[in-house]
Amino acid sequence: MAISDAEGESPAAAKEVGGERKRKRLAERSLLAKWKTEGERKSYSSKLIEALRVVRRSSCPAPRAVRVAADRALAVTARGRSRWSRAILSRRTLKLRSRARVARLKPPAAAAGPRAAERRKPPALEQKARVLGRLVPGCRKLPLATLLEEATDYIAALEMQVRAMSAVAEILSAAAGGGRSSSVAAEPM
Amino acid sequence: MSSRRSRISDEEIKELISKLQFLLPETRRQGASRASAAKLLKETCNYIESLHREVDDLSDRLTELMATMDIGSAQAEIVRSLLRS
Repeated sequence: MAISDAEGESPAAAKEVGGERKRKRLAERSLLAKWKTEGERKSYSSKLIEALRVVRRSSCPAPRAVRVAADRALAVTARGRSRWSRAILSRRTLKLRSRARVARLKPPAAAAGPRAAERRKPPALEQKARVLGRLVPGCRKLPLATLLEEATDYIAALEMQVRAMSAVAEILSAAAGGGRSSSVAAEPM
Repeated sequence: MSSRRSRISDEEIKELISKLQFLLPETRRQGASRASAAKLLKETCNYIESLHREVDDLSDRLTELMATMDIGSAQAEIVRSLLRS
């Protein structure tokens, strides 16, 4: 698998301490960097627009229809490389509502539990890891290392989603009669 | 399921810290090497939640916009601008 150095870090750096680990990190970062490319954003934008059309055509669109469509389009753009994207695609519409409710749930006196094994890990860490696992789709029961991989990819994807949706919103509102003060021709990204 | 599952080595923690620091806009700016793993996890959660909120707001905005315009011509406009850059 070719590792393209999207961020210009020198390959000499990879030979430093823990060479293989560094290389792996660079590889992960170039995977993450993919979310920043224009190509990905455009690919996402076109999927989003298609989904919006479908929503619009339906006679009785659910209130969350756009959000759901945006997330599905995002998951499709990920091309099944990640757990979170697969989880979104197999998700039902209702799941979104319950997730929003649970997001801030703090478990009472976490890790004061019966199992001695849990004491090896500082409770604060495990508690926060659990919260994180609930935020990233399909990642509730993952070991921390995997969870973080998913979370980093998910964050990069979300950032792209925000950029793309903002751009689409700008264009639509400009086309709707130019009420915005920001320039129409300039793309935010 | 092995009991090793719940143990995180110091190495792994260091890796996680560097990974997250790279991602989170706050820590990247400060270049903080002092941030603890727990703090970083918390920042990560907060960041994801704020991103979710942004997406929600944008979805609402798009819903509004779509209600008031013909999506067909909007689509043409978007395709045009996508092709432009």
